[in-house]
Amino acid sequence: MASSPELLQGTLDLLILRTLALGSMHGWGIAQRIQQVSKDVLQVGQGSLYPALHRLEYKGWIKAEWGPSENNRRAKFYSLTPEGQGQLEAERSNWERMAEAIGLVLNQV
Amino acid sequence: MAGWRSSYPTLSQTTRKDGAPGVRGCFEEKQILVRVAPKDDSIEGLAFLPFAAPQDDSTLGGSLVKRMSGTMQEFWTRLRFLFSRKRTQDTDEELQFHIDAQMEANLAAGMTPAESRRQALILFGGVERAREACSEARPGWFFDTLWQDVRYALRGFRRNPVFTVTALATLALGIGATTAVLSVVDRILFRPLPYAHADRLVSMGLVQPLEKQEFTLGGFYYEWRDNQKPFESMTFERGAGECNLTASNPVRLHCADVAANFLPTLGVTPVIGRNFLPEEDVPNAPKSALISDALWLARYNRSRDVLNKQIDIDGKPVRIVGVLPAGFEMPRLQAVDVLLPAQMDIGAQHTLNGGIGLPMWAFARLKPGVSVAKARAEMDSVFRYTEQWIPEQFRQQFQLQIRSIRDRQMQDAYRAAWVLLGAALAVMLIACANVASLFSARGAARERELAVRSALGASRFRIIRQTLTEALLLAIAGAGAGCVLAEILLRIFISISPSGIPFLANAQLDLRIICFAILLALNCAAICGVAPALERPGSIALAARTANSGAHTRLRGFLVVAQIAVSVVLLAGASLFVRSFRNLQREDLGMQTKNVLTVRIPLVDSRYEGSHAYMDFYLRAEAAMRQLPGVQAVGISNSLPPDANSWHGGSRLGDFFVVGRPPIPPETGGTVVGRLVTPDYFRVLNIPILEGRGFTEEERSANGDFMILSRRLAELLFPKGDAIGQHIRSANYRPYFSVDGPAFTVVGVAGNVKNAGLTGQDEPESYELWSNHHPESWSRHCVFLIETNLPPAVVTPWLRTQISKLDPTAPVEVEPLTQTVARLADRPRFEMALLSFFAATGLLLAVVGLYGVVAFLVAQRTQEIGVRMALGATQRNILERVLARGMGLVLMGGLIGLGAAFAVSRLLRDLLFGVSAHDPWSFVSVVLVLSGVALIATLIPALAATRVNPNVALRCE
Repeated sequence: MASSPELLQGTLDLLILRTLALGSMHGWGIAQRIQQVSKDVLQVGQGSLYPALHRLEYKGWIKAEWGPSENNRRAKFYSLTPEGQGQLEAERSNWERMAEAIGLVLNQV
Repeated sequence: MAGWRSSYPTLSQTTRKDGAPGVRGCFEEKQILVRVAPKDDSIEGLAFLPFAAPQDDSTLGGSLVKRMSGTMQEFWTRLRFLFSRKRTQDTDEELQFHIDAQMEANLAAGMTPAESRRQALILFGGVERAREACSEARPGWFFDTLWQDVRYALRGFRRNPVFTVTALATLALGIGATTAVLSVVDRILFRPLPYAHADRLVSMGLVQPLEKQEFTLGGFYYEWRDNQKPFESMTFERGAGECNLTASNPVRLHCADVAANFLPTLGVTPVIGRNFLPEEDVPNAPKSALISDALWLARYNRSRDVLNKQIDIDGKPVRIVGVLPAGFEMPRLQAVDVLLPAQMDIGAQHTLNGGIGLPMWAFARLKPGVSVAKARAEMDSVFRYTEQWIPEQFRQQFQLQIRSIRDRQMQDAYRAAWVLLGAALAVMLIACANVASLFSARGAARERELAVRSALGASRFRIIRQTLTEALLLAIAGAGAGCVLAEILLRIFISISPSGIPFLANAQLDLRIICFAILLALNCAAICGVAPALERPGSIALAARTANSGAHTRLRGFLVVAQIAVSVVLLAGASLFVRSFRNLQREDLGMQTKNVLTVRIPLVDSRYEGSHAYMDFYLRAEAAMRQLPGVQAVGISNSLPPDANSWHGGSRLGDFFVVGRPPIPPETGGTVVGRLVTPDYFRVLNIPILEGRGFTEEERSANGDFMILSRRLAELLFPKGDAIGQHIRSANYRPYFSVDGPAFTVVGVAGNVKNAGLTGQDEPESYELWSNHHPESWSRHCVFLIETNLPPAVVTPWLRTQISKLDPTAPVEVEPLTQTVARLADRPRFEMALLSFFAATGLLLAVVGLYGVVAFLVAQRTQEIGVRMALGATQRNILERVLARGMGLVLMGGLIGLGAAFAVSRLLRDLLFGVSAHDPWSFVSVVLVLSGVALIATLIPALAATRVNPNVALRCE
């Protein structure tokens, strides 16, 4: 069985920011969302999700507030801030450029 | 995400240098952030390489700005969070919610409650680790851990008070002593002179064996000035003398006559007003003056309307044209209040004073690019030309000397300063070695603790940071204590310093030196403290009972050997100085100094016109002193032994012509000190008359000229011993060389008296009777010697009253002769005290280091000692082993040190008196002292070793 490749920390940040761009949600929701949208390819380790969320919050790209969840339990909801929005766009364009470059290299004759 | 981040180090195997597998904290493994599910028929997920996409050049600036503004905002947010702490409860609740939600999803998928919970937890990963990672993300986390480190370090210090106190004391002593001495030496060696481009200024003039401070004469000066090449400008001053400011409240000042271009040559501009004009510097011009800043403040309160004010100096009107800057000094460091133009009659310099001109001291500014050596070479031909004006008898004695003003000011102090500098640095080295040794020992003791911490998960960064914090805390505390000590030491040094070393009284702790010392301490502590932590703890350290790293022990041994060697050198130097000083103290002066008071009455020139007036006054003063109760005798002399008389009172052996005998060849050298004395001089100073008789009171008014020779002079002039009754003529140099002066009758031979300073040999001396028939020989420079049994405090007021009856304004200076003589020994005493202090400090530090090493050795090997004792070694065996080890170190260090001391002491030769540089007694005493102290230092831990209980030792640690 092939070893599972790992993603870098910055990539996880990008995924979280993009997920939150659709609306505020709690940590569990973010993990589920990423898993669903990537068709079960990307499974976020929850042990690393929460440190990442806290880190992003300290940087000011997302903000958090407590609120009731779907089944009326208290949960912490995260949402994107304007700075986070700008950061998302910047990182996204970087990512796309890098993917294109790698694609060119892989497809070279 | 621009660029690549590597907060989590990549996973790799590690091996130690010796090939053993290294222990790694389990938390250094890479965190799996996002697992990518493998698919069967496609590449296994995506792997992303950690490099940055190349930036487009055109957007480089823009993205930079954006990045910077983003960083700024980020900074403020982090700062905000720094001060608001997240409650850990929040985090717990959040994580719990996540796990619950996962459990519900699992239940909905059909698992049992127990299974769903288990699966949820597996899926989550480490809860504890997540919680820790969350708190690590907090901005204030770094400082929290730093504060933890500090508290841990302080606890460690409290648990090991011996180590802490020793390290602090060592650092404080090293830094304190070095800083204090460097401040002093800095003042001596590197003081900036208050002139523009002071390194281009030189003092130039003639030197001869009797007068080593260069001077010049008017005739020479003007000839040199008109024909010189290497100097931008030349100038002179004629010395500072006393003058009176006669005004509403008269005051005695110091006035100096200077050339008109004196200030411009030195590069000094008056604070207000102007310098002298050339037309003010011609003879008989109306006098103008420049006053000092101190005088400006004292009398005129720094008001600007002092300019063009007219004042009376010595009865003549003088106009103030400017004020000197506050830090102004004369190049020869005399105190001066008023500068007056010299108003030299240039033409007359070739006729005055026997055709050579008036005495003066010349200074010059070198042209750019001209060195002192080059200036000497260029002036040589001019000097040769002017040499013809020196009478040929002693033409070859005179040389032209050009040297920088700083050299002239500091001449004697240089060597002493360098010796002190060397000693201070030696002590600093010993202190650093001690600190290194202490930290090394502590590191060795903590090796196991660090290994355990590393195994529990501390990153290397964390461990290094912790040891670094400890080391820096110690270093800062030690440096602080050191600065306080330095201040105290500096005060002590200044209070015992002799007056001969200029500017010592103004020495302060220099900020540069303090910073240098602190940096040195910090570096030393940081390197020594961190070095043990940098090594990867071997896994064997976890299991080992005692830490016994061979390399470390060798290093510590080496350090102790080096320390002992250096302190042997210091001890040897100090011992030489102490013996030299004691020789100085015990020197037989040839005269009695107890119960003798010296009285000087320097009269003011203007009130006593002509030397006849001086003679009158002084004779009356002598009579008045004789009548004081308790005074047994009063003698007068024109100079005081053992101080070397300046060349005004000295002559050469070849100048003495015995009537009726062939003249002495002029090359038989030697200076002869000459003094004018009254008959009671010999009585007061208890100088024995060995042949013939002393002078009598009647001879003072008689018509003849009488002379007494010192025994040395009598032996030189009359080897057959028939001095009494012979007649001697001395060569006369004014106007030109002639031998038709008065013929002196030799009436007696006196014992030798030290007359060339405390360290010089006895020079031959001739005493002329100060007769009343030569009033021109009387001047202000005479000193009364009073023999009295009463204490000076009692006699002095009576004396002042009597003198003031004769002249109320005459200043009277009274000093016991013992004090005057003791002052001559000030400089050697100071050097000896300082060097002894350093030697003692160095020895103390070295011995503490030795004790530490041996004690640590014993502690480390407690188990081994226990085993030996259990196997049958007696206490004596153990003692011998430990002693042998300790004294072995001492022996090595001592041998190296003695060798170095032999080499170094040769440099001190010039500073010693009566002691050869390789004096065997000094070195023997050093060896004895060192052995004794080292033996004690080794004995204490050795005795502790013998008291080891084998039962306890075998089981310990």
